[in-house]
This record gives sequence, C-alpha cells and structure tokens, in this order.
Amino acid sequence: MTLTVFCATVHAQWVKVPAARTPLGADGKPNLAAPAPRLPDGKPDLSGIWEPISPKYLRDLAADLKPGEVPYQPWAKALVDSRADGSHAREESDANCLPQGIPKIAAAPAPWKIIQLPGNVVILHEAFNLWRQVFLDGRQFAEDLNPSWLGYSIGKWDGDTLVVDSRGFNGKTWLDQAGKPTTEALHVTERYRRKNFGTLEIQITIDDPKAYTKPWTVTEEVRLVLNTDLLEFICNENNRDLAHLPGSSLQ
Amino acid sequence: MEVAMRQSFRAMGFALFFFAIPLLAHHSFSAQYDSTKPIKLTGKVTKVEWTNPHIYFYIDVKDEKTGKVTNWALEMGSPNALMRLGWSRNSMKIDDVVNVEATLAKDGSNLANVRTVVLASNGKRLLAGSSEGTNP
Repeated sequence: MTLTVFCATVHAQWVKVPAARTPLGADGKPNLAAPAPRLPDGKPDLSGIWEPISPKYLRDLAADLKPGEVPYQPWAKALVDSRADGSHAREESDANCLPQGIPKIAAAPAPWKIIQLPGNVVILHEAFNLWRQVFLDGRQFAEDLNPSWLGYSIGKWDGDTLVVDSRGFNGKTWLDQAGKPTTEALHVTERYRRKNFGTLEIQITIDDPKAYTKPWTVTEEVRLVLNTDLLEFICNENNRDLAHLPGSSLQ
Repeated sequence: MEVAMRQSFRAMGFALFFFAIPLLAHHSFSAQYDSTKPIKLTGKVTKVEWTNPHIYFYIDVKDEKTGKVTNWALEMGSPNALMRLGWSRNSMKIDDVVNVEATLAKDGSNLANVRTVVLASNGKRLLAGSSEGTNP
C-alpha cells in the first residue's frame, strides 16, 4: 500500500524517474532491513529521504521518559504547565509558519532529505523549505553566534555514528507541541546512526542550563521514504489556522 | 443543521469506513479541534484552496427544516501530503456534492478538520488526510 502510494507520488509530479538505489529482497520488494549503505571512505551513508514514524515526539519530546524525568528549571516547569491545555498554541513558532527549531523539525510533518557530501552534510526540510548545514571540516563555533532558529551545526564521526553539535539558537522555539521552552543557551547534540537501510536512529541531548537543571537525552527513530522526493512547501501561503488558535500573537 | 447532519449520516451509512492515515499539523491539533466532537456534513463545494500549510475547502450546508444555508470551512492536510495520499487538485471540484466526516473546531466557528470525504454523486471516497495525529 505504502509503495503504491509513493510510486503514485513520483508519477504525479515527474515522469521517467529512475529506480532508487535500493536493495531488493527475494520477493523483489525493497529490503529496508538490509544493512546501511556505506560510502567509499567506509562511513555509513545517511543520505536519503526520512520522515517521522509517529507524531509522539512532536507532541512530547519526552514521550519515552517517565513523568518528572525532564529536569526543568522552576520557571520552565511553570511555563510548560501553563501551556499544557493548549491555551498558548498561537505562540508556537510553527503555528506562525516560523521555523520549528531543533530538534522538533525532525519530528514535524513533511519528509526531510540528507545529502551527505565530503566535509559537509546538508539537511533539506520540506517543511517550510528550510535547510541545515552540518560542517565536518573541523571548524569550531565562533564566540558570539548570531541568534538563529535552527542554529549552527558542526559534526564529527564517532565510529558509525554522526555526532552533530548545534548552538547559536534564538530561544524562540518550543522543543515540542507541549511547549518545553528553549533559551539562547540551548546546545543540542544529535547522534545519527543508520541502524539498517530503512531506519535512522537519532539520539538527542538537550543541554540548556537556563531552562533545564542538567542535560537530558531522548532517542527517536525516523524511517526512509522510498520513491518520492521533496516538494515545495511555502507555509505562509495561506495560514488560516492561526486565527483559530488560542493564545497571544508572537511578540 | 441537525437534519442535514442526520441525512448525511444515513447517506454515508456503514459503507464508509475510516481510511485513517493521519497527517501531522504544523500546529497543535488539539488546541484547534475537539476530538470528542465529530460532525457529519453534506453540502455543495463552493471553493477549494489548494494551498499551504493546509488545504481548505468550503461547502454550503442546507438545513432541511429551515432552508437556511450555512457555509462551512473544512481543513485537510497539506497539498504535498494529500498528493502523496493520491489526491490531486482536481479530485474535488466546485459544485461537487460531498459527504464529510470531520472534527469540530473548538472556537465555535463553522470550521472542522476533515477525516473523510465521499463524493455523493458516485460514492467515490476521496482519501481524507486529517491533520490530526494518531494519538491526540
């Protein structure tokens, strides 16, 4: 069913699309449990189009943690509690067609595409036509980064895991729809591991000492999407929802 | 309104089953819609906005008792998400009569988030693509 839908997808926008470089099982169908592909340098190739498997991490990044395990600073806990009933939904960046922030963008709607190049990994997000660059050329962060929605990212390999450090955030994004706040002190570490051809695991550590008393870590998985490609998504084209959401306008 | 809703329920009957491929919204679904308030509507399509971040279409729903016509706004997923479910922007046209199952907006406006759409003329079920997730 899924394949049928996605085949239709490609043909709906393009014709004569070459078959993807996908391992096939004995039955001739894509074998998503096959080993992760590798590049000539021996590193896993994370390239592909990925999408969240479930909306649970969009709703609650700490969905897999026990209640009370998110180490909130008191003000952050009070803020999250005030947002729990949805009464501030209009104040979430995404609802305003502004970027989702890291790590929410990976759990948010619409697929995203990793392009792995020597010295640089590019992540294209269909959602709102956004992009990230992860530099693997040894550069370091500047002292005084301009505040940004998706941060600045540098990466390195730890065995078969790509470790991405991101800083330089503007503190305006929520970690999830539950409203876990961020500040400009946010530092996100993502550890990407392609478990098999069809599954990418992302271990995420939130280190934001102004909002959380200590770093905390969650792990989510995304799945490979076959036979489709990214499409334009200009969020502010016709955002009628905002007027129906409770809360204040963004300052 | 209630009459129209009852009629639409009969028209849809048991032949309709949910094709529940939930799509995610770019905002909190539960803040905008009340998942405990499903609604069934039948009406003629007056406008289709095949636009981001979510498709909206509008139908005129007639109250059989009073004759009063109310225009409802109905929200679906994004154009890309709907396209991946097999929709095209020509799947539903102005003046088509549709049976809709949806979830009511919390703010009391004539707005609902679509779960299923059936073309009344031939019973063809257009895939829904609600922006509600699996576990509201």
